[in-house]
Amino acid sequence: MANKPRKKVMTSNDMDLKPFMNLMVVLIPMLLISAEFAKVAVIDIKLPEARGSQTKQAVTEPPKEDKSEKLLLTAIITDSVVTLGAKGGFLPSLFYREYHHYIAKDDKEDFTVEYEPGKVPKHPKTGREMQIYERYDIYLYVCDEQRNTMNRLYTKYNELVTNTAYEPVEKVNVGDTVLALTNPRRTIIVKDPAEFELKPLSAYDELQNRLMKIKERYREAEDGNDIIIAAENEVIYDKIVQIMDKARAAEFPNISIAKLRS
Amino acid sequence: MGKGRGKKVPRSSDLNITSMMDMFTIILVFLLKSFSAEGSILTNADNLVLPNSESKKKPQEVNLQVAVTNDMILVDNLPIVPTEDVRKIPADDPDPSAAKLEEKLRACMAQEEEMVRVGALNAVQGKVIVQVDKNIDFDVLFKVMNTCGKVGYNNMNFAVMEREE
Repeated sequence: MANKPRKKVMTSNDMDLKPFMNLMVVLIPMLLISAEFAKVAVIDIKLPEARGSQTKQAVTEPPKEDKSEKLLLTAIITDSVVTLGAKGGFLPSLFYREYHHYIAKDDKEDFTVEYEPGKVPKHPKTGREMQIYERYDIYLYVCDEQRNTMNRLYTKYNELVTNTAYEPVEKVNVGDTVLALTNPRRTIIVKDPAEFELKPLSAYDELQNRLMKIKERYREAEDGNDIIIAAENEVIYDKIVQIMDKARAAEFPNISIAKLRS
Repeated sequence: MGKGRGKKVPRSSDLNITSMMDMFTIILVFLLKSFSAEGSILTNADNLVLPNSESKKKPQEVNLQVAVTNDMILVDNLPIVPTEDVRKIPADDPDPSAAKLEEKLRACMAQEEEMVRVGALNAVQGKVIVQVDKNIDFDVLFKVMNTCGKVGYNNMNFAVMEREE
């Protein structure tokens, strides 16, 4: 008899979690609704230069532009070339080969094929024609006149490695000082050459490298933050966005868009 | 013995919710992490895949959205003109403009001006968020941008997907 009251105390020792549960049941659906899983961002853009003639003028009338101290930096992209022009001059063109990275909707097969105009890539196992919306990324690899891609060193964080003259390198030795393509460039003293990986040189990375060189030299220019991206009609929007990214990474935030007339 | 069993039965009828509480707490933390107070301003149309970008700039509240998909151009989620019609505009047209789109945008502009007149807005902002499918060619993009600019929407934002780290 004397034991009975003590037992009752034991059972009521548990915390009453019911109100907390109620709160959870309400909170979780509410948070689930307002959660954002795919983050959307925006890119600011200035209007296209009127009828694309601005780039043409910049190219055909260099003496006039020289007087005004304007840089008039233009990134030009066509179906096989990426290049930079400023003050009526051009840097050597970067010829590229285009590779498309697909992820199949049905079996998540992940593969990269070289793009050939007018040819639809096939699924490597089932032979099914791939849909355009399954294309996940477009890679542009720099190539020479014989269309051989160039392999250059990348860090394990996928940053291009350049020497101190800002040229991408193929080989490093122990003790060399190299720079990784970040903004500002990161200095690395090579301890183990095996840390670096040879990969095909991406045209986007080389473009960023060149843009950063230009930024360094012409920081004082009147339009030192401006860049015009001129594209041909057939260029895919994705490539333009990638170039905008590289332009912003190299501190050219005022982007405008122009059209290349063939 | 029989007495003891009888006592145990009511006690074990309690549900042990401690592990469930643990789970809820973890879920709660993860959901709070991805919580956004603004909500998504952008609505995704079908077959509209935005390109990935490193941009971190958050979209602001705007009055007008233009979406360009592979087969339709939409203004505020209403289909306005097939993209094919825009492609057909000759490429050497110095001032290309999609007539139906321009008409719709002018109506939106007029509405914005009316709001300024009434006092609901301070000034005509001319802001527009453009959502473009990543496989669209530059030709269409240029024509759409030119049309927007012509009407007076000069302040453009391209919507992109933030790249996952």
